[in-house]
Amino acid sequence: MSVTGRAHGAGRRSAVGDFGSAVWTIMVKELRSRMRGRRAFIVLTLYLAMLALITYGVYVVVGPAARAVAGQPVGIGFGSSNASAIIGQWIFSALSIFQVVLVSMIAPAFTAGQISLEREKQTLDLLISTPMRPGAIIIGKLLTALAFVVLMVVAAIPITAIVLMYGGASIDDIVRQQLLLLSVAIGFGAVGIFASALMRRTQAATVVTYGAVLVLTLGSAMTFAFWDEVATRSESGFVTQPRDGAPEALRYLNPMVGMLDIVSRVETTGPTRFTQALYQLFGEDLAGGGQFGIGVGGCDGFDCGDFRDLGQPVPPEVVLVGDDGSDYWWPRVSISFLVVAAILTAASMGLVVPPGMRWAFRRRSARLRGADPYGIEDPETEGSPRIEELVEGER
Amino acid sequence: MIPLPIVETRGLVKRYGDELAVAGVDLVVGPGEIYGLVGPNGAGKTTTMKILATLLAPTSGEAYVTGIPVTADPIEVRRRIGYMPDFYGVYDDLRVWEYLDFFARCYSVPANRRATMIGELLEIVGLGDKRDAYVESLSRGMRQRLCLAHTLVHDPALLILDEPASGLDPRARVEMREILRELRAMGKTILVSSHILPELAEMCTGVAIIDHGRVLRSGTIGEIERSLRATALLRVELLGDDSAAAALRDWLATDPRVGDVMLLEGGNDRPPRLEIAFDGPPEAQAELLRTMIEAGHRVTGFSQATSDLEEIFLRVTGQTDTEEAA
Repeated sequence: MSVTGRAHGAGRRSAVGDFGSAVWTIMVKELRSRMRGRRAFIVLTLYLAMLALITYGVYVVVGPAARAVAGQPVGIGFGSSNASAIIGQWIFSALSIFQVVLVSMIAPAFTAGQISLEREKQTLDLLISTPMRPGAIIIGKLLTALAFVVLMVVAAIPITAIVLMYGGASIDDIVRQQLLLLSVAIGFGAVGIFASALMRRTQAATVVTYGAVLVLTLGSAMTFAFWDEVATRSESGFVTQPRDGAPEALRYLNPMVGMLDIVSRVETTGPTRFTQALYQLFGEDLAGGGQFGIGVGGCDGFDCGDFRDLGQPVPPEVVLVGDDGSDYWWPRVSISFLVVAAILTAASMGLVVPPGMRWAFRRRSARLRGADPYGIEDPETEGSPRIEELVEGER
Repeated sequence: MIPLPIVETRGLVKRYGDELAVAGVDLVVGPGEIYGLVGPNGAGKTTTMKILATLLAPTSGEAYVTGIPVTADPIEVRRRIGYMPDFYGVYDDLRVWEYLDFFARCYSVPANRRATMIGELLEIVGLGDKRDAYVESLSRGMRQRLCLAHTLVHDPALLILDEPASGLDPRARVEMREILRELRAMGKTILVSSHILPELAEMCTGVAIIDHGRVLRSGTIGEIERSLRATALLRVELLGDDSAAAALRDWLATDPRVGDVMLLEGGNDRPPRLEIAFDGPPEAQAELLRTMIEAGHRVTGFSQATSDLEEIFLRVTGQTDTEEAA
């Protein structure tokens, strides 16, 4: 190149091509600084070590108990005749729930500083004064921040796959788990980006992000439980005729609801004690057909027991949402997270464009339109024409 | 045919709430010029530059870069300018070449041109040996030059440099000035700002002095100097006390050619002095001195205050202060 020479430019490209290469530009730069050094390597190693430890811990704790009840009639303790499957189910539940909690905490942490840090370090003006579309900047940053989360989730697959050796959970279950984890990561990642674009300071953006995460996880569960309780209970305190409960949409943005739905499909013998508490917190109806009075003594009317393992047909009264073999909650949760991600990403774009000029960035620029309303010739293959050309164009 | 100006603004206004940051700025910068915007801090230089760099929308008025309206097609304008803000950060954790490579990608510079272009740019700004260094390790002056290099990756027609020499030591300032001269020789048009007029005077082909969002004077340095020298600044020393000076001031007020009179108080054995803005040639000045003495004022010193660039600047920007006070 010569500095006096013709301007650089990619020539005429499609808008999609330009957008894609801009996203890639951001990703290359972010990954260069993010993946450099030992930090990324150490974080990933620690994460996998933790998962491995959990797996081993579950095996050590559950193993003997599972072997003890193996072959026992259903309804006592774990209620399955296969010790190996019990261990597999426990491991799957523990890993799934641990991962959904961790992804919910990590994904926003990676994105909550993406825009506000650039603002604080005063690099944002340099970045947004380039001809890249604001959308490409936001999406590039979101994807890079998520790339590492995705790496963590995907790197955990081999550990999760240990359950396939034990039985009790299938590849389908692992696929479900992965899909949910990824959409939760994208959704919460977008929450972080949006807060980051909205707030001036990273600190404020982080607070807002985690506030939103808390509201969506614990807040929505409590609201649902309270609402449901109030709506379905009569004044005397007895459960009366079924009435409309709380709107189930309250749960669509709750990653724990999605994961418990997936886990409940695995726990064919009724929830493990490990997940019981979570079911109680996030909704007992998520727990497939299983109820919590595990053990014969806990039975109380038809509200108890696991009918499937007894080989009996499931009585229609106790078929609960999610237990008819269809995927009910987790697909709704996944899709809701993706929809929220799309909305927040679009909203973030508007926040990095100078106010009062938003509409101008939605238009295609003259070069991409192929039109030239300014009387400047030769936008065909080059970016900006040389000064002499500009002058000649005027003549 | 007049060449198409690289920068043109007409009645540019930017208002932040009640505050008028830019109050109707008209600028025309032709191809190949180094054009300086000079003014005190808060005069509206940065706001004007940000509007041209499509980072702010003007409240009213028009701005064109190479004939393209900045509000209508900001993306195309951005392809034609290189912008260096007054305050900026760098990505510490990148190497120097990666930093430039990133911006080259941002401007869609084809891959096969990036490597050689980065080498050439680093030579121009004198960072050839820092190619693989981390940006973090660069000194302030080096970062400034790196930032300048980043404005050049797409070979733009116009460079908008907001206070490129601020915070630099004298040696680094000289280096920066040399680089700008070199760039001009390469055919770039450069719009550069500073709050120090002499700094720009040596290299600029044109200057606009801005204060309170208005262009007070514009043209070449020579033109501005001539326009200001038409009004001479006379310094008069008197025998006597401050009351004598006050008497002279009152006497001068009757002369229509006399503008502002500033009383510099005496005391501590120092005689009182006056500074008189006088609109007239040397003959008229001699005439003024004669009538002054004839009127009984005991003049001991009568001289023309030297006006260097710094003073021109202070006088031009000072005028608005007095105008507004009036």
